[in-house]
Amino acid sequence: MANNTTNIQRRNVLKKGISVSTLALIATSGLLLPRILLAHWPTEAFTAETMEDALLALLGEAEVVDSSVVKFKVGSPPSYAVNGASVPIEIHSDLANIERVAIVVEKNPFPLAMSLDFTSAIKLPFKTMIKIAEDSNVIAVIRADGKLYKTTRFVEVDIGGCA
Amino acid sequence: MGLAVKDRLRAKLKGGDTTVRILLAHPMDTGRANNEQGELIPAHFIQDIRCWRNKEEILTIKCGTATSRNPYFSFVLAGGASGDTIMIRWVDNLGAKGKVETKVQ
Repeated sequence: MANNTTNIQRRNVLKKGISVSTLALIATSGLLLPRILLAHWPTEAFTAETMEDALLALLGEAEVVDSSVVKFKVGSPPSYAVNGASVPIEIHSDLANIERVAIVVEKNPFPLAMSLDFTSAIKLPFKTMIKIAEDSNVIAVIRADGKLYKTTRFVEVDIGGCA
Repeated sequence: MGLAVKDRLRAKLKGGDTTVRILLAHPMDTGRANNEQGELIPAHFIQDIRCWRNKEEILTIKCGTATSRNPYFSFVLAGGASGDTIMIRWVDNLGAKGKVETKVQ
């Protein structure tokens, strides 16, 4: 009986050893490629703690036009969300030559939620889900033809999504 | 955990344009929440998603931690034909990768 249990223990140890070593292998092989890809992830913009810093880091300095050209819906029904952990958001615009879209939640710990790089093949609307920590302004900024177009929506959140 | 265990990708031809819908299976931990034992769950989230149509790169999505768990995206591609290949690749902050491919229907 005692012999039996030690055997099982030995087997488990062996098993664990194998899985740990394979995991390590996968991790090292996986680390090489993403490093190159991730070089383009704008860390500064995503870890900025104010909206202005985030937008400056991501979009650069440019004339910002407060504009209704950007049609933009947050929450369902609009401007309201029961669960802040997944708030539907829909961006629509008739602008041509859209290069980049940024979605910013003003009161989130890190305001920048998402950055989208478009090519001419992409047509709007673009739909996705984001986390919103508390009642806050949500801002969509579109860069098209070197200009920034901005639209703001206020959203009420019942249960904050830990963002 | 959500129900989705696999990344899903759908592409459908609608009125001459292609509608693409993406649902990825990922916890998207922000690094702020605690688990049942009160320990902090380290940040683990998708940072970069790229989309190709027939080998042509068409879209880059960069996510911060404020993207919902099991991220969902939907967008429209101009034109397209039935049988086009749509491919998605993603990378998260820990270096895990994923790839999904589908044909336009």
